[in-house]
Amino acid sequence: MKVIDKVINWARLKSPWILHFNTGACNACDIEIIAALTPRFDIERFGIQLKATPRHADVLVCSGPVTRQIRDRLIRIYEQMPQPKFVIAVGTCATSGGVFDGCYNVLGGIDQAIPVNAYIPGCPASPQAIIDGVVKLLQSLEDSMK
Amino acid sequence: MIAALFNILIFPGFLFLSILGLVAEFVDRKLYARLQNRVGPPFFQPLADFLKLLGKEEVVPEEADMRMFNLSPVFALAATVVAYLYIPLWGTKALFYFDGDLIVVLYLLMIPTLTFFLGGWYSRSLFSTIGAVRSITQLFAYEIPLFISLLAPAILANSWSLSAITAYYAAHPWFWLFNLLGFGVALIALLGKLERVPFDIPEAETEIVAGSFTEYSGRLLAYFRMAIDIEVIVGASLLAAVFLPFFLMANPVLGFLFYLIKIFLIIALLALARTVFARLRIDQMIEFCWKYVAPVAFLQVLINLILKGSILR
Repeated sequence: MKVIDKVINWARLKSPWILHFNTGACNACDIEIIAALTPRFDIERFGIQLKATPRHADVLVCSGPVTRQIRDRLIRIYEQMPQPKFVIAVGTCATSGGVFDGCYNVLGGIDQAIPVNAYIPGCPASPQAIIDGVVKLLQSLEDSMK
Repeated sequence: MIAALFNILIFPGFLFLSILGLVAEFVDRKLYARLQNRVGPPFFQPLADFLKLLGKEEVVPEEADMRMFNLSPVFALAATVVAYLYIPLWGTKALFYFDGDLIVVLYLLMIPTLTFFLGGWYSRSLFSTIGAVRSITQLFAYEIPLFISLLAPAILANSWSLSAITAYYAAHPWFWLFNLLGFGVALIALLGKLERVPFDIPEAETEIVAGSFTEYSGRLLAYFRMAIDIEVIVGASLLAAVFLPFFLMANPVLGFLFYLIKIFLIIALLALARTVFARLRIDQMIEFCWKYVAPVAFLQVLINLILKGSILR
């Protein structure tokens, strides 16, 4: 049984499929996320693939502060993803609410709505930082399994 | 009994085909990456994807029909594996053969598309319904050129058994050159059957999320992906057996090597098409298939009939 668990864990670390979701960002972080997916950075080296449906995804990549309107949709998409699942907050707004913190229509960071596994600050976070964040998330998962 | 189990489970059954399918997916993805001037995935990537999906939670939508939703991927996998038993690989004899197995193989290869339709339809999701209808619409466009292009060499060989066709072309070494038009048609139709770019309309991820597979997750998605990988191998082997019947060896090692070269040549051509073309619209695809591809397939039949009636009498 232990060997099978080890093999599945190895496979999980080598094949994180991501789903990109904009929770109310100004689009700057989204452009940087898209840039990170281009052939120039080639994240397929790490087995990362962008998927369009939450059912296929392992990692939810969120950008932007959670607005009150999108809160329910964010939670719904999170719940549509099969276990095990991870969440990455990209950008300053996603980590803390950023300049929108305290606005009447904004809840705050992603962690106000769903649990977050990794934060990548930056306004906007650069593609290098995003890739670094994903690799660090995978590294921390690998360490926690030992 | 043991021999039958060996044939089903190990060679040329699930194990052998799964490994070959994963290698084919790696070759396809790596080649695609290199053609785009990037590094591409490591060699274990398809295996890691498969194992990860096996270990994931399975979500079945409340609206979906449980039975059809769960059975579709299994049927897709089973049909492709069975079709492989009738295709001659490196000799002129397949593992099993009878007169008319060409038709059986073609129908078995149609079953995965039908399961994509049924799986998508019974997911009851908007995106998967659109994807399902598109895949069945596309079926009517590529299936007939594929049938006709594969029947043309059979006319020349005077048999509807794949083993007999291969044996005929092995006995007449240069006759495969007559079928080059048909080979082109079959390649285009294979692109449609495997739902590859430029005919990936049913899965069009930029329009309809993931088509029929939108609601699939975990183990069921892994089965579907494996079925598609195996379908690539079976389709390439079918084309290699009918259109590239040379270097057939009695020696299994050398023969297997040439067989691998042939199928990976076809897989490389499919990867090249994926890099070069963009996705067509469904109506453009159907128009293209009926206006240009089907008449060329008929031309191939005509050429073979005339050859058979005149020179080769």
